[in-house]
Amino acid sequence: MKKKFNAKDVLIPTIALFLIASVCTAILAFTNSITYAKIQENNEKTKNETRSAVFPDALSFSEDKTVSADGEEIVYNEAYSGYGDVIGYVFTASDKGYGGTVTVMTGIDADGNLSGVETIELSETAGLGMNAKKASFRDQFKEKTGPFIVSKDSQKNDGTFEEINALTGATITSRAVTSAVNKTVAAYKALTGGGNNG
Amino acid sequence: MAENKRSLFKEFSKGFIDENPVLRLVLGTCPTLAVSTSVESAVGMGIAASIVLICSNIAISALRKLIPSKVRIPAYIVIIASFVTVVQMLVNAFVPTLNEQLGVYLPLIVVNCIILGRAEAFAGKNNVLASAFDGLGMGVGFTTALFCMGFIREFLGTGTITISLLNGGNALFPAVFGDNPMTIFILAPGGFFVFGMLIALANFIAEKKGKKAAQLHSCKACPMFETCTSGEKEAEEK
Amino acid sequence: MKWYLSLVLAAILTNNFVLSKFLGICPFLGVSKQLKTASGMGIAVTFVMLMATAVTFPINKYLLEQFNLEYLQTIVFILVIAALVQLIEIALKKYMPPLYNALGIYLPLITTNCAVLGVVVLNVEEGYNFAGALANTFGAGIGFLLAMVMFAGVRERMESSDIPERLKGLPITLVAASLTSMSFLGFTGVVEGMLG
Repeated sequence: MKKKFNAKDVLIPTIALFLIASVCTAILAFTNSITYAKIQENNEKTKNETRSAVFPDALSFSEDKTVSADGEEIVYNEAYSGYGDVIGYVFTASDKGYGGTVTVMTGIDADGNLSGVETIELSETAGLGMNAKKASFRDQFKEKTGPFIVSKDSQKNDGTFEEINALTGATITSRAVTSAVNKTVAAYKALTGGGNNG
Repeated sequence: MAENKRSLFKEFSKGFIDENPVLRLVLGTCPTLAVSTSVESAVGMGIAASIVLICSNIAISALRKLIPSKVRIPAYIVIIASFVTVVQMLVNAFVPTLNEQLGVYLPLIVVNCIILGRAEAFAGKNNVLASAFDGLGMGVGFTTALFCMGFIREFLGTGTITISLLNGGNALFPAVFGDNPMTIFILAPGGFFVFGMLIALANFIAEKKGKKAAQLHSCKACPMFETCTSGEKEAEEK
Repeated sequence: MKWYLSLVLAAILTNNFVLSKFLGICPFLGVSKQLKTASGMGIAVTFVMLMATAVTFPINKYLLEQFNLEYLQTIVFILVIAALVQLIEIALKKYMPPLYNALGIYLPLITTNCAVLGVVVLNVEEGYNFAGALANTFGAGIGFLLAMVMFAGVRERMESSDIPERLKGLPITLVAASLTSMSFLGFTGVVEGMLG
């Protein structure tokens, strides 16, 4: 019982499938053309809002620039006052957390003090690692110069680190945020050549 | 006409109660467990999946005579994947917070067994209007089940309910368990546990109505079951 | 090297696909009644995941990203997976009949397994390089296999235990899954201690 090759049996399904796929792709391309600009605008808006949140004193920010510190490229923006003077920087740095990459935006003023920390990419466990979004955790970094260490690792602290209380049940996330902030502090030092670390 | 209306209502209501996709047919378990850590993400997922389900049901039903049965599964997958991507782009553009909450589970609506399952079991065989109502009913059933899961887990796990789209990220009411909510409920074990208890409850109600308990017989619930077993039979024949 | 090792270990233990990411729940609940079928399914999924990553990674990097077609990701990935599963089935049937007999019946089920599409999408989202993506995929597959096998063991024992009437069947299975996933929460500290 060997089946004969029947061109019709093969061609019609192939053409039908091809047509469906083409129409679908056309619909997707169309939707993409409508939503693309809006999505970009959203991303830019969120970034700007986050920048203002971590550096409330600044009125505007520069384009993205990069600085290399400890062998890693860190993206930063200069923060401008109303007169156009550079009054600090906003850095974006990441580290590996528990559920994926943790990306943190940090503002540092001209004196080297942290003006604010916000998480912009966080896919940690709900209820544990996700608490890194809460102000009670993030505000621990404020008005300090760093570098930081999670209080659980305090035996490694040789006196050069400032301690941060880890989130309950989410030490890995706390370490990731702390380490991303530390990268920021290093980048700031690289950028300002040591800076006024008062 | 009255007859017609009643049957349409039946298509709608069956998905809601007797054939609830999650609690009775045990389909779409992955998103049910994964995004039910909060009411907001659970309902968001429910609505997103429902939109895809209704659209794909309508499209597949309209095209059912044009799709050769040999390639129907790939054709269904292409159609469903397109709607998922459209929904994904719209969510990204207009409700970015929801996109953040659903993450990878948003594109994964493609492989939600409910959608392919309904395409195969209903939309491929019925007219457009009936398929639309079937999709609507199943979607509402899915969203309701997700809402229950999300409400129980978020309430017990955090002590309160937060809907950031409504009032800017403030809790709807003060936390009831103080500083010590039962966090385990929003972790993975809590998801499995609450789901198990809800199915037990649904079984109890179904039993009262004289129906069988929900069961997952190896892979009978899976939309690929027929394809899968036909392959098995083929192998046996040889 | 340490980075790859930590990637694999994290994917197996702390970010277990089934028990903490809830991907691949259908086969986890459906095909875990016996140890033999559970391990067969686990191996088949790992195999397809690795192949899918190996194929979709270059497609995404050199085709979709080059031409700004990222919005076609979902549709392309799912079609590639579906085609790949078919090809693997045909190839195994023809060239490796013993392997086909062992894994063949699970293959069609894998197309709609969200774990496969999940791992491919996650690899892109995390922005791993090719080796990193393969390491993560390998860990995810082994994690899936481990969860399936462990759970099959639990379920075989459950057959002979006295279960309350209302919880028989699916509910008690889910409660057992809950306890299994709770045991995996304990690995958080282990991985932390090994690599921290």
